[in-house]
Amino acid sequence: MSETLDDLGVLERPEASTPLGWLFWVCVGWLGLNVLAAIFANVLPLVDPLYQNYNVVNAGPSLHHLLGTDDLGRDIFSRIVFGSRVSIAVGVGAMAIGFGIGAPLGMMAAYRRGRFDTIVTTVMYVFLAFPAIVAVIAVLSFWTPRSLLKIILVIGLASVPLVYRVIRTATMAIATKDYVIAAKVQGATDRRILIKELLPNIAPIGVSFLLIGIATVVTLEGALAFLGLSVNPPTPSWGNMINESRTVMSQNPWLVLFPSLALCLFLLCLNFIGDRLRSHFDVTEVKL
Amino acid sequence: MTDVLLSVRNLTVTFGKGAHRVSAVAGVSFDVYEGETLGLVGESGCGKSTTGKAIMKIVEPTSGSVSLDGADITSARGRTLRRLRTRMQMIFQDPISSLNPRRRIKDIVAEPLDCWGSATGAERDALVSDLLAKVGIDPVVYGNRYARQFSGGQCQRISIARSLAMRPKMLICDEMVSALDVSVQAQILNLLEDLKAEYGLTLLFIAHDLAVVKNVSDRVAVMYLGIICEIGPADVLYEAPAHPYTRFLLGAALEADPDAPRRSDVLEGEPPSPLNPPSGCRFRTRCPFAQEKCVNEVPVMRDVSPGHQVACHFPLVDVQ
Amino acid sequence: MSEVPLLEVRDLAVTFETAGGPLPAVSGVSFTVGPNETLGIVGESGSGKTVLARSIMGLQPRARVTTTGSVRLNGSETVGASEAELRRLWSTEVAMIFQDPMTALNPVMRVGKQIDETLRVRLGMSRPAAKARAIELLEMVGIPSPAQRYDAYPGQLSGGMRQRVVIAAALACTPKLLLADEPTTGLDVTIQAQILNLLDDLKDRLHMSVVLITHDLGVVATRTSHLAVMYAGRIVEFGATRDVFARHRMPYTRALLESSPRVANPSHTRLAAIPGRPPNLLTLGEGCAFAPRCAYASERCHVERPPLSAPDAAGHTFACWNPLTEESR
Ligand SMILES: Nc1ncnc2c1ncn2[C@@H]1O[C@H](COP(=O)(O)OP(=O)(O)OP(=O)(O)O)[C@@H](O)[C@H]1O
Ligand SMILES: Nc1ncnc2c1ncn2[C@@H]1O[C@H](COP(=O)(O)OP(=O)(O)OP(=O)(O)O)[C@@H](O)[C@H]1O
Ligand code: SF4
Ligand code: SF4
Ligand SMILES: [Mg+2]
Ligand SMILES: [Mg+2]
Repeated sequence: MSETLDDLGVLERPEASTPLGWLFWVCVGWLGLNVLAAIFANVLPLVDPLYQNYNVVNAGPSLHHLLGTDDLGRDIFSRIVFGSRVSIAVGVGAMAIGFGIGAPLGMMAAYRRGRFDTIVTTVMYVFLAFPAIVAVIAVLSFWTPRSLLKIILVIGLASVPLVYRVIRTATMAIATKDYVIAAKVQGATDRRILIKELLPNIAPIGVSFLLIGIATVVTLEGALAFLGLSVNPPTPSWGNMINESRTVMSQNPWLVLFPSLALCLFLLCLNFIGDRLRSHFDVTEVKL
Repeated sequence: MTDVLLSVRNLTVTFGKGAHRVSAVAGVSFDVYEGETLGLVGESGCGKSTTGKAIMKIVEPTSGSVSLDGADITSARGRTLRRLRTRMQMIFQDPISSLNPRRRIKDIVAEPLDCWGSATGAERDALVSDLLAKVGIDPVVYGNRYARQFSGGQCQRISIARSLAMRPKMLICDEMVSALDVSVQAQILNLLEDLKAEYGLTLLFIAHDLAVVKNVSDRVAVMYLGIICEIGPADVLYEAPAHPYTRFLLGAALEADPDAPRRSDVLEGEPPSPLNPPSGCRFRTRCPFAQEKCVNEVPVMRDVSPGHQVACHFPLVDVQ
Repeated sequence: MSEVPLLEVRDLAVTFETAGGPLPAVSGVSFTVGPNETLGIVGESGSGKTVLARSIMGLQPRARVTTTGSVRLNGSETVGASEAELRRLWSTEVAMIFQDPMTALNPVMRVGKQIDETLRVRLGMSRPAAKARAIELLEMVGIPSPAQRYDAYPGQLSGGMRQRVVIAAALACTPKLLLADEPTTGLDVTIQAQILNLLDDLKDRLHMSVVLITHDLGVVATRTSHLAVMYAGRIVEFGATRDVFARHRMPYTRALLESSPRVANPSHTRLAAIPGRPPNLLTLGEGCAFAPRCAYASERCHVERPPLSAPDAAGHTFACWNPLTEESR
C-alpha cells in the first residue's frame, strides 16, 4: 500500500503549549508556603495569636515581633499565619462544595440535555437571579452563632449555580464535538464518555475557574468580616484583622498593611496561576 | 450483492416545535446491499447528515425504522443499542474534531476494544498496531503522539483505523474527504477502497461532491429537502438522470476539463426553507417542468428501469 | 499582450516571522494580467494563494511580515505604498472578494448600508444617490427584490445571497481588477454555478479583469484564459488555461489533475494519488519543493531549485528539471 503512505516525518502542529515560566513557579511556591504554614501553624514556633502583651502595644516590626503587634499587643505575624487558616479553609472548603455539587450537575446536564437539563438549569437560574452576596449576608446574619463550618457551607452552596453555569457551558461546547459522538458510536457508556472524553477537556477550564473561585471566596470572607459576619473575634482571619485595624489605622499602619499584603499576594498568585494554566493547557489555540 | 444489509423505511426526523419545526428528514426509504457502496448526494441542509445520524440513532428518529442485518435499531435501547452500533461505524467530516485532542492515538484506536474489553494486554496492542499500519501510520513512531499533532489527512486515517477496530460490517462516511486537499483526498479514497475490499465492508457514502460520490459508489441516491428524489446505479444515474433535480445538479458540477461543455442551464433560485416545504413535489418551486399535478400531488417513488427509481410525475427518461 | 498590463507582479515574496522561524508564504512570484482577462490561480491549501491576493491589494499587515518585489496596478506600485495611496487604488482600480462570505460582512449592519458606506466614503456620493446606486448594484448581482433586501441583515440571507452582496460591495466603485479568493468555496454546486456565471457576466459587462483563486481545478477549467499553478508559495506552471490542462509540463500539475475524481469517469476508477502531503514551509530545503512526492524526481531535484523556464511562444512556462514531454504525458 505504498502509494497511500503519508510522509509523516513532519508534524503539522508541533507541541507548542505556552511555557509556564518561572513566575508561575514562584507563585506556586508562595501558595504552597501559605498552605503549609496554615496547616502546621500549631507546631510552628509561633507566639499564641491570642496572647495579649500589653508591654508592646502597636509596636512596629522588630526581631521579637517580626511584623509588629496590634493595639492589644498581639503578634501580627502569628495572627496572619493563624488567620490564613480561616481564609484558606473558607476558600477551599466553599469551592469544594461548589464544585462537588455544581460540576457533576453541569456536566450531566450538558451531556444529557433534555428534561434533566431543562429542570436543573431553570432551578439554577432562579438562584442566580437572586444576588448571591445578599443571600449569604442574610443567612449568615440570622444563623447564629456563626462558625467556620456554617460560613463554608453557606458560601459553598451559594457558589453552586455559578460553578454549574461555567461547567455546563464548557461541557456543552465539547459534548457536540464529533469525537464524543464517535465514542458513542463505538459503544462507550455514558459514564465512560463523561470520564474519558469530556472530563480531560473540561478539567483545564475547571481548574482555572476553581482557582479564581477560591480567590473570590477569600475576598468575600474579607468583606463578610468587614460586616462582622465572619468568624467571631478574637479568632483571627485576614478579613477580621483588616476590619479591626480600621479604628487604629492612624496609630498603627502596620496593622492594616501586613494582612492586606498577605491577602493581596495570595489572590494575585491564585489568579496568575489560574490564568497561566488555562493558556498552557489550551491545545486548540493556534500558536504560530 | 443480493442480501440487504441495511434497510431504512420511512425514516423521518423533525427538530424543534411549533413554528420552528424543521422536518430535516421527511420519509426516506432505501436498502443498502451487502458489499456495495451507496452514495448519498445532495446540497447543504438537505438532511444527509441527519439521515446518517438517525441510522446510528445518534439523533432520535421521529418515526420509521432502520434495521441492520434484520436487527431493528430504532427500537433498541441501552446495551443492545450500544452492541448494535459497533456493527456499524461512522466517520465524520471534520477530521480534527473527530479525535479527542488530549488522547494518544493508540488509545483512540483502542477505545472500542477497551469499551467492550474485547482485547487486552499484548493482544490489544498488537491489534492497534496492525490497524494503524493498515491505514498507513507507523504505530511504533506515532502511536504515542497526541491526536492534536496530526494533519487533517492523518486524522482521517486514524478515524478509519478506530472505526475498523470492532470489525464492523457497515461504515457510514459523512463527508469524510470534504475537508481535505485533492491530493490527500485521493489517498483517503484509495485507502477506503482497499480497506473495503479487505474487510468486506458495506458503505453508505455521504457527500456533496458529485465526482467523489460517483468515484466510490455502486449506486447513488439523490436527496433534496429531506426526501430522496432518485436512486439508481451510479453509471446509469449519471448518464441518464430521470429526475429534473439530478440533471441540474449534474449540470452544475464542474469538470476539470477546459473542453467540457459549459452548460448554460443553471438551476435558478435556492432551496426553500425546510421550515416551510412546498406542497406536492418539494422541488416544484425551482423545477422548470413543474405542472398543476406537481403542486397537488406528492410524487411517489417508481421504477424507471430495474433498480432505478425516481419520485417525479414527469421523469426525464421513458418509464419502462 | 502588447498593451500595458493592468496588473504586473514582479518577484513578489512575502515572508512571515513566526516562532518557528521565517515562513516564506510566497516567493518569486511574477505574472501579468491584461485588460478584460481572467487569470486562474490554483493550489492546495497553504500554497500561498490568499497571502498572494492580500499582498496584491496591499492588505498584508506590515508588522512581522517582509514583502519584497513589486506589484503594479495600472502603473501604481502597491508594495510599500502609503495608506492614502492604497485607498485611492482600492476605490478605483482593484477590489477583492474574500474567502469567507460569512465574515466579510458586518453582521449587525444592514447589507444596503454596507454598500452605501463604500460609495459615500470612497466616491463621496450623497446619501440618496448612494442608496439608489446600492439598490442598482444589488439588482445587478441578481438579488431578487433588491429594494427590500437593502434593509436585510447578513444573517437573514443565505450563503449564496451573502456572496452576491459581497460581490455587489466589491463592484461598488467599478474596479478594473477584481480579486476573487475562493468565491464559491462552501457554497452548493448549483449556487456555485450561479455565482461563477454571474462573475463571468459582470466581467464582460463592466470590462474588468478577474483573478480567480481556487483549489478546485473544475472552477478554473472553463472560465479563465490563463492559469497559474501554485505549490509551496511559488508559481510552478503558468500558461494559457487550455495549454496547462492539455500540455502541462510540470509533474505536479499532472498529479493534481489525475488525483481529482471526474464525473465522466466510471465508478471505482482508481485515483492516482500523490503520496505524502504539501511541505512544511518552515523547513523547505534547497531543491524543488515537490521533489519528495514527485515520481520524476532526479538527484538534481533535491539539491537545486528549478527556475521558471523561458516562456514559449504561447507564454507557457514551468519550473521543472525533468519536464513531461508529449510521450511521457
Ligand atoms: N440539532 C438540530 N436542531 C435543529 N435543526 C437541525 C439540527 N440538525 C440539523 N438541523 C437542520 O436539519 C436540516 C438538515 O441538516 P443536515 O445537517 O442533515 O444537512 P446536510 O445535508 O448534512 O447538510 P450539509 O451538507 O451542510 O452537511 C437543516 O435544515 C438543519 O438546519
Ligand atoms: N499572518 C500569518 N502569519 C504567519 N503565517 C501565515 C500568516 N498568514 C498565512 N500564513 C501561512 O502562509 C501560508 C500560505 O497561506 P495562505 O492562506 O495564503 O494559503 P492558501 O493557499 O490561501 O490556503 P487555503 O486554500 O487554505 O486558503 C500558510 O502556510 C500559512 O500558514
Ligand atoms: S414532480 Fe413535477 S415539480 Fe417535481 S421534479 Fe417532477 S416535474 Fe418537477
Ligand atoms: S524539478 Fe524534479 S522534483 Fe520537481 S517537479 Fe520537476 S522532476 Fe519533479
Ligand atoms: Mg452534513
Ligand atoms: Mg486561502
